[in-house]
Amino acid sequence: MRLLQSRAQRELADKIEASRGQLYRLAFAWCHDAVLADDLAQEALAHGLARIEQLREAERLMSWLFAILNRCWIDHLRGRRDDLDDEMLVELPSPLPGPDSHAESQETVSRVRAAVAALPLGQRQVVTLVDLEGCTYAEVAEALAIPIGTVMSRLCRARSALRGLLEPAAAQTRLRSVK
Amino acid sequence: MNDARNFSDEHLNAYIDNELGAQECDEILAAIVEDAELGQRLCVLRSTKELVRHAYGHIPAGRRKRNGRASLWGGALAASVALVAGVLIGWQGHRAAVVSPSGSLLAWAGGLFAPQPARVLLHLDSSQPERMEEALDLAEAYLAKAGNARVEIVVNNAGLDLLREQSTPYAARIASLASHYEMLTFVACGNAIARYRNAGLDVTLVPEAQVASTAVEHVVERMRQGWTYLKI
Repeated sequence: MRLLQSRAQRELADKIEASRGQLYRLAFAWCHDAVLADDLAQEALAHGLARIEQLREAERLMSWLFAILNRCWIDHLRGRRDDLDDEMLVELPSPLPGPDSHAESQETVSRVRAAVAALPLGQRQVVTLVDLEGCTYAEVAEALAIPIGTVMSRLCRARSALRGLLEPAAAQTRLRSVK
Repeated sequence: MNDARNFSDEHLNAYIDNELGAQECDEILAAIVEDAELGQRLCVLRSTKELVRHAYGHIPAGRRKRNGRASLWGGALAASVALVAGVLIGWQGHRAAVVSPSGSLLAWAGGLFAPQPARVLLHLDSSQPERMEEALDLAEAYLAKAGNARVEIVVNNAGLDLLREQSTPYAARIASLASHYEMLTFVACGNAIARYRNAGLDVTLVPEAQVASTAVEHVVERMRQGWTYLKI
Protein backbone atom coordinates (compact mmCIF):
# COMPACT_ATOMS: atom_id res chain seq x y z
CA MET A 1 0.00 0.00 0.00
CA ARG A 2 1.25 3.40 -0.82
CA LEU A 3 -1.10 5.67 1.07
CA LEU A 4 0.41 8.83 2.42
CA GLN A 5 -2.18 8.88 5.13
CA SER A 6 -0.74 10.92 7.89
CA ARG A 7 0.30 14.52 7.98
CA ALA A 8 3.73 13.32 9.08
CA GLN A 9 4.07 11.29 5.92
CA ARG A 10 2.98 14.17 3.76
CA GLU A 11 5.51 16.41 5.44
CA LEU A 12 8.09 13.76 4.84
CA ALA A 13 7.09 13.61 1.18
CA ASP A 14 7.64 17.36 0.94
CA LYS A 15 11.05 16.97 2.55
CA ILE A 16 11.93 14.24 0.10
CA GLU A 17 10.92 16.45 -2.78
CA ALA A 18 12.90 19.34 -1.28
CA SER A 19 16.02 17.20 -1.14
CA ARG A 20 16.21 17.00 -4.92
CA GLY A 21 19.03 19.58 -5.09
CA GLN A 22 21.11 17.72 -2.53
CA LEU A 23 20.61 14.39 -4.27
CA TYR A 24 21.48 15.95 -7.59
CA ARG A 25 24.70 17.45 -6.25
CA LEU A 26 25.77 14.16 -4.75
CA ALA A 27 24.88 12.23 -7.89
CA PHE A 28 26.83 14.75 -9.93
CA ALA A 29 29.88 14.30 -7.71
CA TRP A 30 29.61 10.55 -8.27
CA CYS A 31 29.10 10.52 -12.03
CA HIS A 32 30.15 14.00 -13.21
CA ASP A 33 27.40 13.99 -15.80
CA ALA A 34 24.67 16.58 -15.33
CA VAL A 35 21.99 14.72 -17.27
CA LEU A 36 22.68 11.38 -15.64
CA ALA A 37 22.87 13.01 -12.20
CA ASP A 38 19.49 14.56 -12.83
CA ASP A 39 18.04 11.21 -13.79
CA LEU A 40 19.54 9.48 -10.78
CA ALA A 41 18.26 12.14 -8.41
CA GLN A 42 14.79 11.92 -9.92
CA GLU A 43 14.83 8.17 -9.77
CA ALA A 44 15.91 8.23 -6.13
CA LEU A 45 13.07 10.66 -5.39
CA ALA A 46 10.54 8.41 -7.06
CA HIS A 47 11.80 5.39 -5.11
CA GLY A 48 11.85 7.37 -1.89
CA LEU A 49 8.28 8.54 -2.33
CA ALA A 50 7.16 5.06 -3.26
CA ARG A 51 8.66 3.59 -0.10
CA ILE A 52 8.05 6.40 2.30
CA GLU A 53 6.38 4.18 4.85
CA GLN A 54 9.57 2.14 5.12
CA LEU A 55 11.38 5.08 6.68
CA ARG A 56 11.16 4.44 10.39
CA GLU A 57 12.96 7.49 11.74
CA ALA A 58 12.33 10.82 10.05
CA GLU A 59 15.65 12.24 11.20
CA ARG A 60 17.44 9.61 9.17
CA LEU A 61 15.77 10.79 5.98
CA MET A 62 18.90 11.95 4.20
CA SER A 63 21.02 8.88 4.82
CA TRP A 64 18.02 6.80 3.78
CA LEU A 65 17.74 8.79 0.56
CA PHE A 66 21.48 8.54 -0.03
CA ALA A 67 21.16 4.77 0.32
CA ILE A 68 18.41 4.81 -2.31
CA LEU A 69 20.50 7.00 -4.58
CA ASN A 70 23.36 4.56 -4.15
CA ARG A 71 21.15 1.65 -5.23
CA CYS A 72 19.92 3.62 -8.25
CA TRP A 73 23.52 4.38 -9.18
CA ILE A 74 24.67 0.78 -8.76
CA ASP A 75 21.66 -0.42 -10.79
CA HIS A 76 22.58 2.05 -13.49
CA LEU A 77 26.18 0.83 -13.61
CA ARG A 78 25.13 -2.81 -13.60
CA GLY A 79 22.62 -2.06 -16.33
CA ARG A 80 25.42 -0.86 -18.54
CA ARG A 81 27.84 -3.63 -17.68
CA ASP A 82 26.43 -6.82 -16.32
CA ASP A 83 29.89 -8.29 -15.74
CA LEU A 84 30.55 -6.02 -12.77
CA ASP A 85 31.00 -7.75 -9.47
CA ASP A 86 31.12 -5.88 -6.17
CA GLU A 87 34.87 -5.69 -6.16
CA MET A 88 35.04 -4.19 -9.63
CA LEU A 89 32.26 -1.78 -8.81
CA VAL A 90 34.05 -0.07 -5.97
CA GLU A 91 37.12 0.35 -8.16
CA LEU A 92 35.31 2.03 -11.06
CA PRO A 93 36.61 5.47 -11.95
CA SER A 94 34.18 8.08 -13.19
CA PRO A 95 34.33 9.44 -16.73
CA LEU A 96 36.18 12.73 -16.67
CA PRO A 97 33.98 15.73 -15.98
CA GLY A 98 32.80 17.40 -19.15
CA PRO A 99 33.53 21.03 -19.94
CA ASP A 100 31.62 23.29 -17.64
CA SER A 101 31.55 26.95 -18.48
CA HIS A 102 31.30 27.87 -14.84
CA ALA A 103 34.24 25.73 -13.88
CA GLU A 104 36.37 26.73 -16.81
CA SER A 105 36.94 30.04 -15.14
CA GLN A 106 37.95 28.23 -11.98
CA GLU A 107 40.91 26.06 -12.61
CA THR A 108 40.99 24.73 -9.07
CA VAL A 109 37.41 23.56 -9.26
CA SER A 110 38.08 21.76 -12.53
CA ARG A 111 41.19 20.10 -11.17
CA VAL A 112 39.51 18.96 -7.98
CA ARG A 113 36.57 17.53 -9.88
CA ALA A 114 38.94 15.70 -12.21
CA ALA A 115 40.77 14.31 -9.18
CA VAL A 116 37.51 13.21 -7.53
CA ALA A 117 36.42 11.63 -10.82
CA ALA A 118 39.66 9.66 -10.93
CA LEU A 119 38.96 8.05 -7.56
CA PRO A 120 37.61 4.52 -7.50
CA LEU A 121 33.84 4.58 -7.04
CA GLY A 122 33.91 3.27 -3.48
CA GLN A 123 36.26 6.03 -2.36
CA ARG A 124 34.47 8.69 -4.41
CA GLN A 125 31.16 7.91 -2.75
CA VAL A 126 32.58 8.00 0.76
CA VAL A 127 34.53 11.22 0.35
CA THR A 128 31.61 13.07 -1.26
CA LEU A 129 29.13 11.88 1.37
CA VAL A 130 31.43 13.07 4.15
CA ASP A 131 32.74 16.27 2.61
CA LEU A 132 29.78 17.47 0.53
CA GLU A 133 26.85 16.20 2.51
CA GLY A 134 28.41 16.36 5.95
CA CYS A 135 27.43 12.78 6.74
CA THR A 136 28.82 11.10 9.82
CA TYR A 137 30.79 7.91 9.30
CA ALA A 138 27.85 5.95 10.69
CA GLU A 139 25.49 7.55 8.17
CA VAL A 140 27.84 6.75 5.32
CA ALA A 141 28.12 3.18 6.51
CA GLU A 142 24.36 2.89 6.54
CA ALA A 143 23.86 4.59 3.18
CA LEU A 144 26.41 2.42 1.41
CA ALA A 145 25.81 -0.71 3.48
CA ILE A 146 29.46 -1.09 4.43
CA PRO A 147 31.20 -1.33 7.83
CA ILE A 148 32.44 1.86 9.48
CA GLY A 149 35.99 0.54 9.28
CA THR A 150 35.62 0.40 5.50
CA VAL A 151 34.28 3.96 5.49
CA MET A 152 37.36 5.09 7.37
CA SER A 153 39.85 3.24 5.23
CA ARG A 154 38.22 4.35 1.97
CA LEU A 155 38.09 7.93 3.17
CA CYS A 156 41.73 7.76 4.15
CA ARG A 157 42.75 6.39 0.78
CA ALA A 158 40.53 8.89 -1.03
CA ARG A 159 42.03 11.91 0.69
CA SER A 160 45.50 10.54 0.27
CA ALA A 161 44.87 9.99 -3.46
CA LEU A 162 43.36 13.44 -3.84
CA ARG A 163 46.42 14.93 -2.19
CA GLY A 164 48.61 13.02 -4.60
CA LEU A 165 46.58 14.13 -7.59
CA LEU A 166 46.39 17.74 -6.52
CA GLU A 167 49.85 18.01 -5.06
CA PRO A 168 52.15 17.99 -8.15
CA ALA A 169 51.13 21.41 -9.35
CA ALA A 170 51.34 22.82 -5.87
CA ALA A 171 54.72 21.21 -5.37
CA GLN A 172 56.01 22.62 -8.65
CA THR A 173 54.88 26.04 -7.62
CA ARG A 174 56.79 25.68 -4.38
CA LEU A 175 59.91 24.45 -6.20
CA ARG A 176 59.85 27.39 -8.55
CA SER A 177 59.61 29.78 -5.65
CA VAL A 178 62.54 28.07 -3.91
CA LYS A 179 64.76 28.39 -6.97
CA MET B 1 53.51 11.38 25.07
CA ASN B 2 52.04 11.09 21.63
CA ASP B 3 54.02 12.25 18.71
CA ALA B 4 52.76 12.73 15.17
CA ARG B 5 53.73 9.23 14.11
CA ASN B 6 51.39 7.78 16.69
CA PHE B 7 48.38 9.22 14.97
CA SER B 8 47.29 7.34 11.89
CA ASP B 9 45.81 9.19 8.94
CA GLU B 10 42.50 7.49 9.70
CA HIS B 11 42.61 8.92 13.19
CA LEU B 12 43.40 12.40 11.91
CA ASN B 13 40.64 12.16 9.33
CA ALA B 14 38.24 11.23 12.09
CA TYR B 15 39.44 14.29 14.00
CA ILE B 16 38.76 16.75 11.19
CA ASP B 17 35.42 15.07 10.52
CA ASN B 18 34.35 15.53 14.15
CA GLU B 19 34.17 11.81 14.74
CA LEU B 20 36.35 11.68 17.84
CA GLY B 21 35.33 11.99 21.44
CA ALA B 22 36.41 14.89 23.60
CA GLN B 23 39.31 13.05 25.15
CA GLU B 24 40.79 11.98 21.85
CA CYS B 25 40.42 15.52 20.50
CA ASP B 26 42.28 16.84 23.55
CA GLU B 27 45.12 14.40 22.92
CA ILE B 28 45.50 15.58 19.37
CA LEU B 29 45.33 19.24 20.33
CA ALA B 30 47.96 18.70 22.98
CA ALA B 31 50.18 16.93 20.47
CA ILE B 32 49.86 19.69 17.89
CA VAL B 33 51.40 22.17 20.30
CA GLU B 34 54.57 20.14 20.42
CA ASP B 35 54.65 18.82 16.92
CA ALA B 36 54.53 21.07 13.90
CA GLU B 37 54.48 18.10 11.53
CA LEU B 38 51.22 16.91 13.02
CA GLY B 39 49.74 20.37 12.53
CA GLN B 40 50.88 20.29 8.93
CA ARG B 41 49.27 16.89 8.31
CA LEU B 42 45.99 18.11 9.74
CA CYS B 43 46.21 21.26 7.68
CA VAL B 44 46.65 19.26 4.46
CA LEU B 45 43.71 16.99 5.32
CA ARG B 46 41.51 19.97 6.12
CA SER B 47 42.40 21.73 2.91
CA THR B 48 41.67 18.55 0.93
CA LYS B 49 38.27 18.38 2.56
CA GLU B 50 37.62 22.05 1.82
CA LEU B 51 38.70 21.66 -1.79
CA VAL B 52 36.19 18.85 -2.35
CA ARG B 53 33.42 20.84 -0.74
CA HIS B 54 34.30 23.93 -2.74
CA ALA B 55 34.49 22.03 -6.04
CA TYR B 56 30.79 21.17 -5.94
CA GLY B 57 29.46 24.43 -4.57
CA HIS B 58 28.22 25.43 -8.02
CA ILE B 59 27.47 22.59 -10.33
CA PRO B 60 25.90 22.70 -13.77
CA ALA B 61 22.13 22.74 -13.58
CA GLY B 62 20.29 19.59 -14.50
CA ARG B 63 17.24 19.69 -16.69
CA ARG B 64 14.78 20.24 -13.90
CA LYS B 65 14.22 23.22 -11.71
CA ARG B 66 15.65 22.82 -8.25
CA ASN B 67 12.77 24.46 -6.45
CA GLY B 68 11.18 21.24 -5.40
CA ARG B 69 8.34 20.59 -7.76
CA ALA B 70 9.06 18.58 -10.85
CA SER B 71 8.98 20.74 -13.92
CA LEU B 72 8.11 19.69 -17.39
CA TRP B 73 10.96 19.53 -19.76
CA GLY B 74 11.25 19.21 -23.46
CA GLY B 75 14.04 17.84 -25.57
CA ALA B 76 16.64 15.47 -24.18
CA LEU B 77 14.35 12.67 -25.24
CA ALA B 78 17.01 10.03 -25.21
CA ALA B 79 17.95 10.87 -21.66
CA SER B 80 14.32 10.86 -20.61
CA VAL B 81 13.87 7.47 -22.15
CA ALA B 82 16.81 6.29 -20.11
CA LEU B 83 15.18 7.72 -17.03
CA VAL B 84 11.91 5.99 -17.67
CA ALA B 85 13.73 2.76 -18.28
CA GLY B 86 15.75 3.21 -15.12
CA VAL B 87 12.77 3.94 -12.94
CA LEU B 88 10.84 1.10 -14.40
CA ILE B 89 13.58 -1.31 -13.54
CA GLY B 90 12.98 -0.24 -9.98
CA TRP B 91 9.25 -0.38 -10.45
CA GLN B 92 9.47 -3.96 -11.48
CA GLY B 93 10.86 -4.74 -8.07
CA HIS B 94 8.26 -2.48 -6.58
CA ARG B 95 5.46 -4.44 -8.15
CA ALA B 96 6.62 -7.57 -6.48
CA ALA B 97 6.34 -5.79 -3.18
CA VAL B 98 2.92 -4.39 -3.94
CA VAL B 99 1.15 -7.46 -5.16
CA SER B 100 -0.12 -9.60 -2.37
CA PRO B 101 1.54 -12.98 -2.10
CA SER B 102 -1.78 -14.41 -1.10
CA GLY B 103 -3.77 -13.96 -4.27
CA SER B 104 -4.65 -12.01 -7.35
CA LEU B 105 -4.40 -8.30 -7.70
CA LEU B 106 -8.12 -8.01 -7.52
CA ALA B 107 -8.32 -10.03 -4.34
CA TRP B 108 -5.56 -7.99 -2.86
CA ALA B 109 -7.39 -4.81 -3.82
CA GLY B 110 -9.86 -5.55 -1.07
CA GLY B 111 -7.27 -4.04 1.21
CA LEU B 112 -7.60 -0.79 -0.67
CA PHE B 113 -11.15 -0.39 0.46
CA ALA B 114 -10.43 -0.36 4.14
CA PRO B 115 -8.91 3.10 4.48
CA GLN B 116 -10.61 6.35 3.58
CA PRO B 117 -11.41 6.58 -0.11
CA ALA B 118 -8.37 8.02 -1.67
CA ARG B 119 -6.78 8.63 -4.98
CA VAL B 120 -5.27 5.68 -6.68
CA LEU B 121 -2.79 5.70 -9.47
CA LEU B 122 -2.57 2.53 -11.51
CA HIS B 123 0.54 2.28 -13.61
CA LEU B 124 0.64 0.05 -16.67
CA ASP B 125 3.69 -0.42 -18.86
CA SER B 126 2.79 -3.62 -20.62
CA SER B 127 0.76 -4.36 -23.72
CA GLN B 128 -0.22 -7.82 -22.54
CA PRO B 129 -4.01 -7.95 -22.78
CA GLU B 130 -4.33 -9.63 -19.41
CA ARG B 131 -2.38 -6.80 -17.76
CA MET B 132 -4.56 -4.23 -19.52
CA GLU B 133 -7.61 -6.03 -18.32
CA GLU B 134 -6.24 -6.18 -14.79
CA ALA B 135 -5.82 -2.41 -14.82
CA LEU B 136 -9.35 -1.82 -16.03
CA ASP B 137 -10.84 -4.42 -13.67
CA LEU B 138 -9.04 -2.95 -10.73
CA ALA B 139 -10.08 0.60 -11.60
CA GLU B 140 -13.67 -0.46 -12.02
CA ALA B 141 -13.74 -2.52 -8.84
CA TYR B 142 -12.28 0.30 -6.85
CA LEU B 143 -14.58 2.98 -8.27
CA ALA B 144 -17.64 0.79 -7.85
CA LYS B 145 -16.91 0.19 -4.17
CA ALA B 146 -15.16 3.31 -3.01
CA GLY B 147 -17.70 5.87 -4.11
CA ASN B 148 -16.12 9.23 -4.67
CA ALA B 149 -12.55 8.03 -4.98
CA ARG B 150 -10.42 9.07 -7.89
CA VAL B 151 -8.59 6.58 -10.02
CA GLU B 152 -6.08 7.31 -12.70
CA ILE B 153 -4.56 4.83 -15.09
CA VAL B 154 -1.22 6.05 -16.33
CA VAL B 155 0.45 4.18 -19.17
CA ASN B 156 3.91 4.28 -20.62
CA ASN B 157 6.23 2.10 -22.67
CA ALA B 158 4.21 -0.69 -24.29
CA GLY B 159 1.33 0.12 -21.95
CA LEU B 160 0.56 2.96 -24.33
CA ASP B 161 -1.18 0.37 -26.48
CA LEU B 162 -4.08 0.49 -24.04
CA LEU B 163 -4.88 4.07 -25.02
CA ARG B 164 -3.81 3.95 -28.65
CA GLU B 165 -6.70 3.58 -31.04
CA GLN B 166 -4.57 1.58 -33.43
CA SER B 167 -3.86 -1.11 -30.87
CA THR B 168 -6.26 -1.11 -27.94
CA PRO B 169 -8.59 -4.06 -27.62
CA TYR B 170 -10.54 -2.11 -25.00
CA ALA B 171 -11.66 1.12 -26.69
CA ALA B 172 -15.33 0.43 -26.03
CA ARG B 173 -14.75 -0.55 -22.43
CA ILE B 174 -12.64 2.54 -21.80
CA ALA B 175 -15.39 4.73 -23.25
CA SER B 176 -18.00 2.98 -21.17
CA LEU B 177 -15.99 3.22 -17.96
CA ALA B 178 -15.18 6.87 -18.54
CA SER B 179 -18.82 7.75 -19.14
CA HIS B 180 -19.89 5.80 -16.08
CA TYR B 181 -17.19 7.01 -13.70
CA GLU B 182 -16.41 10.69 -13.81
CA MET B 183 -13.53 10.22 -11.39
CA LEU B 184 -11.65 7.88 -13.69
CA THR B 185 -8.95 9.38 -15.87
CA PHE B 186 -6.53 7.93 -18.36
CA VAL B 187 -3.09 9.43 -18.86
CA ALA B 188 -0.56 8.58 -21.55
CA CYS B 189 3.17 9.27 -21.29
CA GLY B 190 4.37 11.92 -23.74
CA ASN B 191 7.72 10.21 -24.02
CA ALA B 192 6.13 6.92 -24.98
CA ILE B 193 4.08 8.67 -27.67
CA ALA B 194 7.21 10.32 -29.04
CA ARG B 195 9.04 7.01 -29.06
CA TYR B 196 6.24 5.31 -30.96
CA ARG B 197 6.20 8.11 -33.52
CA ASN B 198 9.97 8.05 -33.84
CA ALA B 199 9.64 4.38 -34.63
CA GLY B 200 7.24 5.27 -37.45
CA LEU B 201 4.07 4.19 -35.68
CA ASP B 202 0.87 6.20 -35.79
CA VAL B 203 -0.45 7.27 -32.44
CA THR B 204 -4.03 8.40 -32.14
CA LEU B 205 -5.20 8.28 -28.58
CA VAL B 206 -8.68 7.28 -27.53
CA PRO B 207 -10.72 10.42 -26.80
CA GLU B 208 -10.70 9.74 -23.06
CA ALA B 209 -6.90 9.92 -22.81
CA GLN B 210 -4.93 12.85 -21.51
CA VAL B 211 -1.21 13.29 -22.05
CA ALA B 212 1.47 13.93 -19.43
CA SER B 213 4.92 15.14 -20.29
CA THR B 214 6.41 11.97 -18.86
CA ALA B 215 4.88 9.17 -16.86
CA VAL B 216 7.66 9.26 -14.31
CA GLU B 217 7.19 12.90 -13.46
CA HIS B 218 3.45 12.45 -13.40
CA VAL B 219 3.74 9.57 -10.96
CA VAL B 220 6.16 11.47 -8.76
CA GLU B 221 3.84 14.46 -8.70
CA ARG B 222 0.80 12.34 -7.89
CA MET B 223 2.61 10.56 -5.10
CA ARG B 224 3.77 13.86 -3.72
CA GLN B 225 0.11 14.82 -3.60
CA GLY B 226 -0.64 11.72 -1.58
CA TRP B 227 -1.94 9.35 -4.23
CA THR B 228 -1.62 5.64 -3.78
CA TYR B 229 0.60 4.11 -6.40
CA LEU B 230 0.06 0.63 -7.73
CA LYS B 231 2.04 -1.03 -10.45
CA ILE B 232 -0.01 -3.38 -12.56
